[in-house]
Amino acid sequence: MAVRTIDVRERVMARSDELAADVRRRLQAAGVLTFNLVSSPGSGKTTLLERTLADLGEEIGISVVTGDVQTQNDADRLARHTDRLVQAVVTNGACHLDARQVATALDEVDLDRTRLLFIENVGNLVCPAGWDLGEDAKIVLFSVTEGEDKPVKYPKMFQRARYAVLSKMDLLPHVPFSVEKAVDFARQVNPTIEFLFASALAPDGMREWYGFLRAQLRRTE
Amino acid sequence: MHEMSIALEVCRIAEQQVGVAAVPRVVAVGLDVGDDAGVEISSLEFCLESLLSTPPFRGARPVISRLRGDVLRVSYLEVDDGGPDD
Repeated sequence: MAVRTIDVRERVMARSDELAADVRRRLQAAGVLTFNLVSSPGSGKTTLLERTLADLGEEIGISVVTGDVQTQNDADRLARHTDRLVQAVVTNGACHLDARQVATALDEVDLDRTRLLFIENVGNLVCPAGWDLGEDAKIVLFSVTEGEDKPVKYPKMFQRARYAVLSKMDLLPHVPFSVEKAVDFARQVNPTIEFLFASALAPDGMREWYGFLRAQLRRTE
Repeated sequence: MHEMSIALEVCRIAEQQVGVAAVPRVVAVGLDVGDDAGVEISSLEFCLESLLSTPPFRGARPVISRLRGDVLRVSYLEVDDGGPDD
């Protein structure tokens, strides 16, 4: 038996990063601003997007690629609020979306009519952190019904996110949650993370979020 | 369980390096995994053992070296080229 050693030194994520770079080039060429929305299950990603689509979907030109482990439930919920295509990716057990799935989903999205694309990732604060999908930025949702220490429990996700949306703010009077502590924990792992506050079920709860989205779009023009 | 996605990519890299025909002759797959790579080592090891013990692989051994930082790479492959003992 003659065993030969082959020096490889290849990054495991190299191919995935190439695919993500292709997606990024494609979206930038189409002038589409893209956010990868990540959170634990139940933080309110779909509800935030439902309201955003209903209020701003046509004005801004929003499209959504949504990923779930099973079912098209989120895509069906979102599709009720827009006549634009909501593209579903069912991962069949995988705990995160990857750039190849997004590239395939984009084939069905009318990028000419899209200025803002949300990729709603699988609800999971661990796995999606390591996978670049070709987005401009990750936005992590974090609801006031969760523990304030989520950022230090799941540091990689909060390090990779440029923005954090504290959701379900209308429930704050009813839960023992300190916004100050939550922001402190997040800044411990990512000193430059920017916080937004939203409440998708309160009439006035989306003002800051919509202001943020409009400002982001102006910056890309 | 993103370790399974990583393990599948490791197998793809190994296959690309040695060519499809030589995959059954891979006897070891060396990996460097950083402490901050976001990888659960025992889970990755389990996934790799499962994949490397099924065709087209034939029981190649994953050899994981833990390093600092967020490195995650296939460092080397050992391939049995046959010889007098065969």
